[in-house]
Amino acid sequence: MQALEQVIDLAAAFEASTNPYMLLTPDLRYAGMNAAYLAEVGMAREQLIGRPIFDIFDGGPTAAGAENVRQLRASFQKVLTTGERDHLALIHYAIPVTGPDGVVRHEDRYWSASHTPLHDVEGRIVLILQHTSDITELERLRRARDDSSTVSALDMLLGGGVMNRARAVQEDNRRLETERNRLVEMFMQAPGFVAILSGPDHVFQMYNDAYARIVGRDDIAGKSIRDALPDLAGQGFYERLNSVFETGEPYEGKGVAVTFRPEGADRELTRNVDFIYQPVRNHHGTVVGIFVQGHDVTDTVLAAQRQRLMIDELNHRVKNTLATIQSIAIQTARSHEDPRTFAESFQARLLSLSHTHDLLTRSHWEGADLRDVLEHETAAHGTTRIVLNGPPLALGPAAALSLGMIFHELATNAAKYGALSDPDGRVFVDWTVANQTSRILGVVWREAGGPPVSSPTRKGFGSRLIERNVRHDLAGDVKLGYASDGFIAEFLIPLDRDTQQHG
Amino acid sequence: MAEGLTGRRILVVEDESLVAMLLETILEDMGAIPVGAVATVDEALDVVASDPLLDAALLDVNVAGREVFPVAEALKAKGIPFVFSTGYGQGGLPDHWRGQSTIQKPFTEDAVKAALFKALGVALV
Repeated sequence: MQALEQVIDLAAAFEASTNPYMLLTPDLRYAGMNAAYLAEVGMAREQLIGRPIFDIFDGGPTAAGAENVRQLRASFQKVLTTGERDHLALIHYAIPVTGPDGVVRHEDRYWSASHTPLHDVEGRIVLILQHTSDITELERLRRARDDSSTVSALDMLLGGGVMNRARAVQEDNRRLETERNRLVEMFMQAPGFVAILSGPDHVFQMYNDAYARIVGRDDIAGKSIRDALPDLAGQGFYERLNSVFETGEPYEGKGVAVTFRPEGADRELTRNVDFIYQPVRNHHGTVVGIFVQGHDVTDTVLAAQRQRLMIDELNHRVKNTLATIQSIAIQTARSHEDPRTFAESFQARLLSLSHTHDLLTRSHWEGADLRDVLEHETAAHGTTRIVLNGPPLALGPAAALSLGMIFHELATNAAKYGALSDPDGRVFVDWTVANQTSRILGVVWREAGGPPVSSPTRKGFGSRLIERNVRHDLAGDVKLGYASDGFIAEFLIPLDRDTQQHG
Repeated sequence: MAEGLTGRRILVVEDESLVAMLLETILEDMGAIPVGAVATVDEALDVVASDPLLDAALLDVNVAGREVFPVAEALKAKGIPFVFSTGYGQGGLPDHWRGQSTIQKPFTEDAVKAALFKALGVALV
């Protein structure tokens, strides 16, 4: 087939047309125009080529002129952003005219214009083609008609009616344009994510910054959802969109987990979202697209999970503490036939446990210092009688609770049978931390100045508790020595294993 | 009534030594022989693998920060009955283990006894 260019000279046809045409570059400079245009605006070609249109036609010095410039510029801008033709049904636009006296004045003109984008092979806009008509005469007729009291039907039909309609249409367009811009702006800046998907393949027609942020990419315009977000495969979102498109029923998701693998990211990212898929219909009522709207609720979901975990953990600890106290009560009861001594002994154990809890609560259950744990016992028996010697040492919660109970048993035993039962008796508690590959706490409890010591005939609850606690709870070792000059207990306890709580 | 448990070897998995001591005391009072107590899942798995004479087990659900379920699986595979002990009761168990005999902390001697009897299929009276 022969190309049109070979049949007629398009440039010559453009030049010869009686309709005024001109071409603008995307930065709104004159790229070309035909003779009719030059005649219309009363300018020579070389006055215009390469110059910005708004330098030449600035609309005049009035406020109305500035508004007219704004309207015209908005129309060009719309063409450049949408890539689609825009019409100005009526624009009032003054142009500079040089009078016979050589003075330049702005002369009121009324125009009707259409602006058409011209694309290169890659689809980029290279030029805007303007087709204008000067309709000043029509407008003057209308005004004359408005001023006179006799209005003929012909006037209405030919002049005023048409002009009024054109004016109304243009006014509506201007209002719609403003409205549209405001909506688009709201859409783009909305804190929630918003996207409009078009057609049965759900092609991204529009999406806002929040949407780009949550999906972790900003190159999805014009792509179908499967091409744009392949990481959503197998998560049920494509299927839900299909179903909304087919049935026309909206879909609402609450706290739904969605996993993205943004390009370049080395790991997946899971967020929780509340969202709605709302079908978009054309004027026949057919679904043509889907409006996606929602927000990221990951923080809320995480907070709820954390709270649930904390409540579970609290319940777990409370129940374990109750079981521990139950055990202390039952075991204490077994070694006390007299309810009064039982109560004393049981309460002392309870208070010792409570003291360690207080210490731990103060540090938000991060741990307690060994000296602070021991001080409950020195407070009960006198600081001069129990001599503490060792470096500051942070214990984890489990170790603090165990050692608190252990030292309580040791002190109670010393007060009953050992060094603290004699006014001159003393207890020396020394501790060191051996810094080997892993830290090991060494504690020596040494009694002196008490009555002669002999090995017990049977193990009481206290010594069983000590041995069990050290081996079972602390994975350490203990030696209880019953030398005649004083009882001695030596502990070796691995530190750095208190990562978990009592379970 | 306690005859049903006399001489039975019962594994105790419990990381809280005082609670373990209480369970041992209760078992001994019933004439049973406590095995352990062990304080970790790994130790418990060792005992299950190496002790051919276990009759039953008492399993703390959360031992030293780990769930005891691998031990429960190992026991189930060997046909050894077991009882969960937990602060949460039945509601704290995953669906898979719902219906398993369970005692809730703190527990009474009678509750431990009844749960073990039920697990062992021994008549209470």
